[in-house]
Amino acid sequence: MRVPDLTLPPLFASVVSRLPATPPNLALVTLLNQLLKRGVLPADMSLLAGRHFAVDVLDAGLRLRFGADDNGFVLDDGHAEPDLRFAANASDLARMMLREEDPDTLFFNRKLTIEGDTELGLIVKNLLDSVDWSETPLARFMAA
Amino acid sequence: MSTLPELVCPAGSLPALKTAIDHGADAVYMGLKNETNARNFAGLNFDEKSAAAGIRYAHDKGRKVLMAINTFAQGVDISRWQRAVDQAADLGVDAVILADIGLMDYACRRHPRLRLHMSVQGSATNYEAVNLARERFGVVRAVLPRVLTVDQVRHVIEHTDVEIEVFGFGSLCVMVEGRCLLSSYATGESPNTHGVCSPAKFVRWEQEGAATASRLNGILIDRYGAGEAAGYPTLCKGRFDVEGDTYYALEEPTSLNVLEVLPSLLEIGVAAIKVEGRQRSPAYVAQVTQTLRAALDEAARNPQRFSVKPAWQAALAKVAEGQQQTLGAYSRPWK
Amino acid sequence: MSALNLKLTLGPALFFWPRETVYAFYEEAATWPLDTIYLGEAVCSRRQQLRTADWIDLAHRLADAGHDVVLSCQALTESESDLKRLRRVVGNGRVRVETNDLGAVHLASSAGVPFVAGCHSNIYNVDTLALMASMGAVSWVPPIEMDRDTLAAILAECRARALPLETELFAWGRLPLALSARCFTARHYNLKKDDCQFKCLEHADGARLSTREGKGFLTVNGIQTMSDGCHALLPHLTDIAAIGVSAVRVSPQATGTAEVVAAFRRAIAGDVVEMDSLPRPDGACLVDGYWRGEAGINPIGEHHHACA
Repeated sequence: MRVPDLTLPPLFASVVSRLPATPPNLALVTLLNQLLKRGVLPADMSLLAGRHFAVDVLDAGLRLRFGADDNGFVLDDGHAEPDLRFAANASDLARMMLREEDPDTLFFNRKLTIEGDTELGLIVKNLLDSVDWSETPLARFMAA
Repeated sequence: MSTLPELVCPAGSLPALKTAIDHGADAVYMGLKNETNARNFAGLNFDEKSAAAGIRYAHDKGRKVLMAINTFAQGVDISRWQRAVDQAADLGVDAVILADIGLMDYACRRHPRLRLHMSVQGSATNYEAVNLARERFGVVRAVLPRVLTVDQVRHVIEHTDVEIEVFGFGSLCVMVEGRCLLSSYATGESPNTHGVCSPAKFVRWEQEGAATASRLNGILIDRYGAGEAAGYPTLCKGRFDVEGDTYYALEEPTSLNVLEVLPSLLEIGVAAIKVEGRQRSPAYVAQVTQTLRAALDEAARNPQRFSVKPAWQAALAKVAEGQQQTLGAYSRPWK
Repeated sequence: MSALNLKLTLGPALFFWPRETVYAFYEEAATWPLDTIYLGEAVCSRRQQLRTADWIDLAHRLADAGHDVVLSCQALTESESDLKRLRRVVGNGRVRVETNDLGAVHLASSAGVPFVAGCHSNIYNVDTLALMASMGAVSWVPPIEMDRDTLAAILAECRARALPLETELFAWGRLPLALSARCFTARHYNLKKDDCQFKCLEHADGARLSTREGKGFLTVNGIQTMSDGCHALLPHLTDIAAIGVSAVRVSPQATGTAEVVAAFRRAIAGDVVEMDSLPRPDGACLVDGYWRGEAGINPIGEHHHACA
C-alpha cells in the first residue's frame, strides 16, 4: 500500500477545526493505551510521564493533544504549553506511521516540524520506530 | 574475482533489524540500551529480550548479528562493559565490535571463540594498528575510519590478514572516529565517554525574529533564514566564522555515498560494507539496504560494465542528511 | 606552601612554524626550567620545514646537552610514507618516543622501545592502562577530556596494583580536540589539501573559529581542530600532585611560552602565582571545564579572570 500524495482541501480544514477535538483525542489516547497494554508499544513511561504532547495535522486543521503519566497516556486539558509538537500534513504523517517515509527525511525536507524538547522528540521518534507492527493485525498496512 | 563483500546494516530497534534482514542485509549490527555503545540515545537499541528475538530472526534466515560494544570503558569499575561482552557471547552473536583494547584483551581471554571486530571508534587508520589488534587479541575484522582513500584502503588490505570493513553510506563523520572530542568540549559528553555526539538534551531551537537559531549547550551552531532548510546541530556541521568568512568551516551536513567507487572496493577485496544509521528509522534502513543490495549484486554480476543507476542515486539522495552526498575521503579532491 | 612533587614538561609544538622559528624556539627552551622536552611533527605529514631526520638530529643534540627528550609521533598515520617516518622516529636509537596511535604502539612494542602513551591513545580505564604498560609504556598522558575524579580513581587503583607508570597531564594550552583527513585551513582558503600552499605557516597559534555571534569556540590548525580556549590547570596543581600525577605539560604557543613555563615552575615550587597576566595563545580565554567534569569550554573559576 502506498499513501497517495494528496493535500486535504482547505474547506476540510476549516470545517474540522471548528469541531470539538475531544473525540479524536479520546480515540488516540485509548488506542495508545491499548497498544501499551498489549506490549506493542514498548514505551518506558518514566521517560514520558508528566509531559504534554501535540500533533498538528496541518491540512486537516486538527490539533491532537494528550499527556502521559507513569501508567499510560491521558487526556490533556490543552492549557499547558506542549513539551513536544509534531506538525505535518495528513499524508506525510500517514507515511511516517506506515514507515513509507523516514521521519528524518521528512524533517530534512521541512515536511515535518518538530518543536520543543529535542530529546523528548527523539525518545518519541525512537519509540515509534521500535513498534513491531508485524506482531499486530495492522501489519498488512505497513510499507514493505 | 574476490567474493562479494558482506552488506552490514544498522539496527537501532527490532523492526529495523527485521527490515534490514528482509531487504537483503548479510549482517546487522546492534547495541544494548546503555553507554556501552556509541549510539546511546534514549529509546533506541536492544534489551536482552529484543536482542534474543532479533538474533533468532536473523539466524533463522541465515544472516549474522554483530553487537557493537564500542565506547571506551570508563575508570576503575568497568564491569558494565565486561558484562556486555559476556551477554553478547551468551546471546550467541556472530561477533562483537569493540573499540577499547582493554576490552578486546578481556574478550579474547574470557571468550576465546567469540569473533572480535575492531570498531571504527578504535581509530585504526593503518595496517600496523590493525596487525597489533590481530597479534594481541585475535581480531579478525577491522572497520576503517572514514578518512582513507581507496588506494590507502587497498594498501591496508595488502598488508594484513584481518578482514577490512569500510563505510558505504550514511551521515559523515569528518573527523577520525574515536579521536573527536568536540562534543565533550561543548557539552561534557562525547562518543568516547558517553556514546553520544552533540546530545539532544543540550539542543535548543530558538526563534530570533524570522530566523531560527540552533544551539548546543548555549553555543550557537547555526542560524537559518525563514525558507532555509534546518539541520540537527551536530557541532562539526554548523556555520561558523573564520577571519570574517561565515561558512560551513568544518563540514556541510552531508552523507557519504560510495556507489560510484563500488567496483573499486570490490576489486581491492574489502570484506564488508557498512551502512551508518542505528539512530535512523526502519524506513531509512529499508531504502538504503535494498538499494545497496541491488548495487552490490549488479557490481558482482557485471563488474566491467557497472554503472550507477539513477534510481539508486535518487533513492539514497532522498534519505541523505541535508540531501547532499559525497564520496568523502575515498576521493582525493575532498581531502 | 611547600614544593610539589611534580615534573614540568614541554609538549610538542602543535602549530606549523618556519624552520628558523623552530630552531630558535628549542634553543631558548633548552634554557627553561623543564624536566622533559617533547618534540617532533605530531599533526600533519605535509609540514616539512623540519624533515624527520632534522627532528631526530635536534632531539639527539638536546639529549647530548643533558636534556631529557622525547620524540612525538604523528597522531594520524595513513600512508606508507607516514609509516616510514614513524619507523625512523621509533628506531631513532637514542630517545624514547610518544606514541599517538596503535600503529606506533605496535612498532615501539615490537622493537622493545619504551614509550609514552600520548593523549590520543584513548586510555580511559585501568585495564587498558595496564595493557599499555605490558606493551612497553613507561608513562601515559590521560585523554584531555578525562575529569579529575575519574583520573584520581584510576591512579589509586594503579597504586593498588603496583603499576609502574608515570602520569603526565596536559595542563596548559589550546586543547587538541580532533583529527581529520581533511585540512580545514586549506578549506578556509579554498585550496585542496594536496596543494595547501602551507597556509598554516600564517597562523602561528592556529586560526580562531567563532560562532556567528562572534564568540570564540574552536581553533583551526590544519587537519587538527583545537579548542579556542586555553586549558589552564595552574590553579589545581596541589590537587593534581596529591592524586598521584607525576608531571604536568605545557603546550607551546607562538609567544610567551617562557613566561608560562616560569609560572608553572614557581607554582610547583610552592609560590602563589598570579595567572591573570599570563600570555595565552591569541589572547584566548582560560578554560578548565574538563578537569571539573564539565564541558571543556567552561571557563576557570570566578576568582580568576578567565578572559584577558
